[in-house]
Amino acid sequence: MKKFLILLIPLSIFIYSAGENKCGSLEKCDYYSADVHDTYSLQRGLGIYMNYCSTCHTLELLRWNRLQRDLDIPETILIEDLIANPDIKIADYMTFGLPEVSAIGAPDLTLRTRVRGEDWIYTYLRTFYEDPEQLTGTNNLVYPGTSMPNILVGLQGIQTLDNDGTIKLKSEGSLSRAEFDDSMKDLVNFLAYASEPARITREKNGIFVILFFIIFTAVMWLLYREYAKEIK
Amino acid sequence: MSEKENSKSFMSSMMSWIDRRFPVTENLERHLTKHPVPKKVNFYYLFGALLMVVFMIQVITGIWLMMFYTNTEEGAFASIEYIMRDVEYGWLMRYMHSTGASAFFFLMYFHMFRGLLYGSYQKPKELVWLFGCFLLFLLMAEGFLGYVLPWGQMSYWAANVILSLFGAIPYIGPDLQVWIQGDFVLSGITLSRFFALHVVVVPLLMIALVVFHIFALHEVGAGNPEGVDIEKHRDAKGMPLDGAPFHPYKTFSALPAMGIFFIVFFAIVFFAPTGGGYLIEKPNFEEANFLKTPDHIAPVWYYAPFYSILRAVTFGIPFLGITSKFLGFIIFAASIAILFVVPWLDRSNVQSIRYKGIYSKIAMILFASSFITLGYLGTKPVNELRTLIAQICTIFYFAPFILMPIYTKYEKTLEVPERL
Repeated sequence: MKKFLILLIPLSIFIYSAGENKCGSLEKCDYYSADVHDTYSLQRGLGIYMNYCSTCHTLELLRWNRLQRDLDIPETILIEDLIANPDIKIADYMTFGLPEVSAIGAPDLTLRTRVRGEDWIYTYLRTFYEDPEQLTGTNNLVYPGTSMPNILVGLQGIQTLDNDGTIKLKSEGSLSRAEFDDSMKDLVNFLAYASEPARITREKNGIFVILFFIIFTAVMWLLYREYAKEIK
Repeated sequence: MSEKENSKSFMSSMMSWIDRRFPVTENLERHLTKHPVPKKVNFYYLFGALLMVVFMIQVITGIWLMMFYTNTEEGAFASIEYIMRDVEYGWLMRYMHSTGASAFFFLMYFHMFRGLLYGSYQKPKELVWLFGCFLLFLLMAEGFLGYVLPWGQMSYWAANVILSLFGAIPYIGPDLQVWIQGDFVLSGITLSRFFALHVVVVPLLMIALVVFHIFALHEVGAGNPEGVDIEKHRDAKGMPLDGAPFHPYKTFSALPAMGIFFIVFFAIVFFAPTGGGYLIEKPNFEEANFLKTPDHIAPVWYYAPFYSILRAVTFGIPFLGITSKFLGFIIFAASIAILFVVPWLDRSNVQSIRYKGIYSKIAMILFASSFITLGYLGTKPVNELRTLIAQICTIFYFAPFILMPIYTKYEKTLEVPERL
């Protein structure tokens, strides 16, 4: 029987290694895992979102006052700087007055990070390059033929694709590479929060529930031992 | 008379008043305080109790979800996000329900594998096993119906794949599919009837079968890993020497197990509710769209082994008019149906794998490893190599059962001890 089990191991490695973790035309997405407990990062991410994304993309499932509560935003800033429209109430969704499907077909971003994954969005935002054959003048390694223009080009700078398939920086943007990567992390972090606002409470309180059940198990184990003695 | 004695006699006269009209004490003794169970069992015998716990979690969280869920094509997807965002602790109810579904299957598979290992289907436990198999079938139906309700892309397209199987049945297929769907395509009409089935019909049947399962079990008595009949040796009071009353001895052994289960369960609920896309799949966060098929349609992990068997059949029987899809459906159905007849396939004179021969042991390893491999393959897109492996594993899945009457009859078994 043992020999049979030993035989199973190489066989299983052989089948299980064939993975489908491709990231568009890339072998693998760059790793990023959101930390929704970093409120400052979420606030910075919101800033980038408001400045760059909100022109075309809605967040139709996130309410302004939920955002205010979770991101510690003072009410005056929320009403005067972020909403900046007397017709919009703070309990409204973050649709910026855009129609459900905007004229240019930009998708709603509320659940995008859950559909694509945090890694995917993070890599996608950083792999735009110049491509004169495209309508927008740019193309993307993760999502070839994407109809989204490289809106962040001012921050990142212009990138080109080498013949060997790697991306090179052609001209500097206003941010260095490390700074740009950090701000994209903030942005993806914010989008991850938007896709599941309850994640903050969920991850914060989960540990107490688990601690409770560890104590519960210990006490129940002692109780069980007492009863088990009787039937030895 | 002192006050204490007074109240005691009042309580006992109360109880006897009730007992004359409704046999509370008799049933408590029959099923709990005097019901004998084997003293020495292993962890495999805890899954039944845990399944009861999960069933209760599903019922309770399900009731809460139902209060906020909308069963229409337009409202279903949005109502799930409403539960996740605007309902207080709605996210907890939803994640407990979705994780509970996976836990249900996980425990069910172990519970049934225990049955196969220790012969928990052998005479006179055939009906216990049969009711259990019906419960597996109902659970699969319940899981499938529930999976459609969030109305995400994967809900829609996975349901399409399964419903199209009915359409593959010769002659009656296409009409049958339309009759089940209630529409020419999978639509809001299908959604609302699946909702009715998911929350009323199937759970009611499951509750009835759980009761039958337990009544039958308490009639024939619980087994043990040794396959020893504890009823043979009794003490002066008629209690089996190797047995102990169910309550308190077994109830208190289930509590620490419940604690460990809850640690794992809540670790998933709070820290990995989507299970890396295996418990809640990524495309299911996108609303169902009948114009857009996802790149890769995969079932949830607990259906994956059976889905793999379905896909492994790449050939039909043309002269009988059987397409490969219909043959796949037949073999897929047979992979569950074969479990129902296991009590009549096993000809062994011992119950437990511990005393069975080498062929039974090899058969169990083959069955378990092919089930796991099929499960893995079911979640991946097909290619030639994977189809070949799935075909081999399908044979290994069936062989232990089909050959069971032969090897269990002729293999050499060990002597079972008299006592536990």
